[in-house]
Amino acid sequence: MEIALAGNPNVGKSLIFGHLTGVGVISANYPGTTVEFSEGKAKFMGMTVTVIDLPGTYSLAGNSDEERVATELLFDRKPDTVIAVLDATRLERNLVFLFELIESGYNVVAALNMYDIVRKNKMAIDVERLERILMMPMIPTVATKGPGIDSLLYTAVQMRRKSKFKVRYDSHTERMISQLEKLLKEEDWKYPLRSVAIRLLMGDANVTERAAAEPKETAARLREEFLRGHGEDIVVHIQRDRFGEAGRIAKEAIVSPAVAKKVRGIDEDFTIRPTTGIPLLLGVLASVFIVLVFGGGAIEGVLVSAWSETGKEYFTGLAEDAGSDLLSGVIQGVSLSIEAMLALVIPYILVFYVMLSILEDTGYLVRVVSLLDGVMHRLGLHGRAVIPMVVGFGCNVPAILATRTMGSKRERLILAVLITIAVPCSAQTAIIVGSVGKFAGAWWALLIYLILMATLVVLGLALHRAIKFEPSGMCIEIPDMRWPSARQTAVKTYIRLKEFLTIAFPILLVGSIVLEALLALNILQGLLEPAEPFMVTVLGLPAFTAVALVFGILRKEMALQMLIVLAGALQATTDLSDVLTNEQMFVFALVMAVFMPCLAAFAVMVKEFGTKNTVMVTLASIALAFFMGAVANAILSL
Amino acid sequence: MHMVSEITEQYLKIIYNLTEDGGAAKTNDIAEALEVAPASVTEMLHKLAEQGFISHTPYKGVILRPRGRKIACKIARRHRLLERFLADVVGTKGRSVHEQACKMEHAITDEAEKNLCRLLNRPQTCPGGRQIPKCQRPITCEKCTSADVPLSQIKEGEKAVVSHLVAQNQDELCSMLAMGFVPGSEVKVEKRIPMGGPIIVSLKGTKVAIARDRGDVLHVVRAA
Repeated sequence: MEIALAGNPNVGKSLIFGHLTGVGVISANYPGTTVEFSEGKAKFMGMTVTVIDLPGTYSLAGNSDEERVATELLFDRKPDTVIAVLDATRLERNLVFLFELIESGYNVVAALNMYDIVRKNKMAIDVERLERILMMPMIPTVATKGPGIDSLLYTAVQMRRKSKFKVRYDSHTERMISQLEKLLKEEDWKYPLRSVAIRLLMGDANVTERAAAEPKETAARLREEFLRGHGEDIVVHIQRDRFGEAGRIAKEAIVSPAVAKKVRGIDEDFTIRPTTGIPLLLGVLASVFIVLVFGGGAIEGVLVSAWSETGKEYFTGLAEDAGSDLLSGVIQGVSLSIEAMLALVIPYILVFYVMLSILEDTGYLVRVVSLLDGVMHRLGLHGRAVIPMVVGFGCNVPAILATRTMGSKRERLILAVLITIAVPCSAQTAIIVGSVGKFAGAWWALLIYLILMATLVVLGLALHRAIKFEPSGMCIEIPDMRWPSARQTAVKTYIRLKEFLTIAFPILLVGSIVLEALLALNILQGLLEPAEPFMVTVLGLPAFTAVALVFGILRKEMALQMLIVLAGALQATTDLSDVLTNEQMFVFALVMAVFMPCLAAFAVMVKEFGTKNTVMVTLASIALAFFMGAVANAILSL
Repeated sequence: MHMVSEITEQYLKIIYNLTEDGGAAKTNDIAEALEVAPASVTEMLHKLAEQGFISHTPYKGVILRPRGRKIACKIARRHRLLERFLADVVGTKGRSVHEQACKMEHAITDEAEKNLCRLLNRPQTCPGGRQIPKCQRPITCEKCTSADVPLSQIKEGEKAVVSHLVAQNQDELCSMLAMGFVPGSEVKVEKRIPMGGPIIVSLKGTKVAIARDRGDVLHVVRAA
């Protein structure tokens, strides 16, 4: 059987999901969108229950990507039961969401989550009364710790009854609803006709598309008439009635309201007020950076030394025993790619993801977005652009997809250009930190970031000048600050890292083997020769780095991994400082940071912006990368 | 303005209805609308002309003079508001809506009219599709005298009540509504982030950051 978890953002849905399913989770983007949802299996009394975690939305009306995905998933998967995860401390708004689920005719069980905070605030909710009013089970839960989750699953699995609760709209609206209902045919719809009628009346694009001509036209006419008569969209009236009803129910169910009005945490002001927020932000970014350099470095040291004593020796032995040069080369390739993975992906990317997840879960990231919104506007960017940009520090692919939240296509293209060129993704960060940061020192690595930042500003302003557009603003809920949960961090990091391991490693492995084979057959040297004059004279880099650049196109972090592989192959060392000077590393990292988007990002851009735009962006970024590299080389060799 | 009789109001309203789209009202049309004999209409029209409410040109018809127009507007406005009320809120159907409104329109006070207008959320037309004349009261009505301001005008720490939403597109409107910004909900401006940053408002215990331009979707009335 299948259970779906639905609810507003920040209600602890993912935590409940984590409790129900453990770690064996797959996370996927819904086709055609950037919106993620997760799916996992829960065991219950010998039964396997599939649990779908819907994206957090405020409504099911389908007015944003998240809402569309949530609605489509519910429609396509037809879950046996829907668990509505409600924030019990904000009952009113959460009840409105519940109304929509009930209206749509699902078997609904509600989780009154954050019940510990309800108790802490000395708030009392008459849960039985709430159950009676809404005619459905309500289960108090504490997702952060676990109470209530078992009984929630138990109830959800048993649930076979639809609530008969109905929101009463005002009589004019009700009349329009029943007029539309009469025009609809039962067999055309999977939803109750009342719900279809309401959605038609609200102009839900999804439902309107599927409706027959007569109800469609009638709904359009009724909407139009209402708008003319009231000077206001009918949606406003419907929502007002829902909130009114929710308010009444909440009032009845809340026996005593929260005693202490939630003390506004001092953290709240600190993070948002620019005088304190900006230093704090810089501090947080600096500590992320330091943890990445030192923490990642320490893990790398441990992993690499452990590897060289065990696996590496085994592979070296294997390579020596291999008869031909070709075979031994292939074995070396396998060994080196495993080492590159251990030296790069695991330490730096893992640490980065853990930190990103913590920043997200504490609610700090949202505050940063609010703080920087105004500044982003000056740059000719939308406040919402902060989110794709921050995502871009992780990976450019979801970041490019996340630009969809921007209004116009031009705006999106500008942002995508900025992200691919000037926002270093986690792989590029790994290159910068793992080469320059490790050998030349943290200051040099920081310098690269500053150069990138300057590029971002200059490029942003230039593009803003060239292409005029008026960004429209953000509207985002600021959740309470809370401690990150180890479990959630682990699950999130696991999901993100898994993608790296399953996609990056095979490419790396094949790439390494091919390269080693080419090397063993003495072909590689020949291939590199034409690139040599350019690499050496313009960038001051040894010719073999050209291969690393080429592999960087496949996946950015592979540039450095390949560099290590090549260093091993050419100079029999895995220590980069033996083959590159600090200056060369700096130039290399800078070129890599600006260099063309990786294959995956390229593919996504083609899909989103068309081949012509993408090729232009790619050529521009290559030219800019070589230009900046050449300038850096010229300055450094003075 | 001194009190005028109900019958005067009725006549002026009918003339208003007939001349709304321009032109003059014919005696026969007035008689038909009031369901009385044309002779008694002529007599009444003379009286009204004497009092300065209308001007009557033989063979052309009747038009309202400013004095008469003022009263007619008020009554027509009440009539159409009441029709909306009866049709939308009470759920009255058919011809009865008009008939009952005809009787009630003379009975309600200015205050009731104002509150009715607010209750119905400033309707623009009656169920028959005719324009509801604008309110001409000196009474401050928070909706009609545009006491509502965009959210960005509210100072830090001030409270306000959402009066209506003015959105560029459906998605914007719906997303604001779904977050709970419905007419009548109280918001408090917690913080205005400098450097053109967003406004942080609290709504029913939740904090929401809204960019200034986006916030102007919300038109609010300062809470007393």
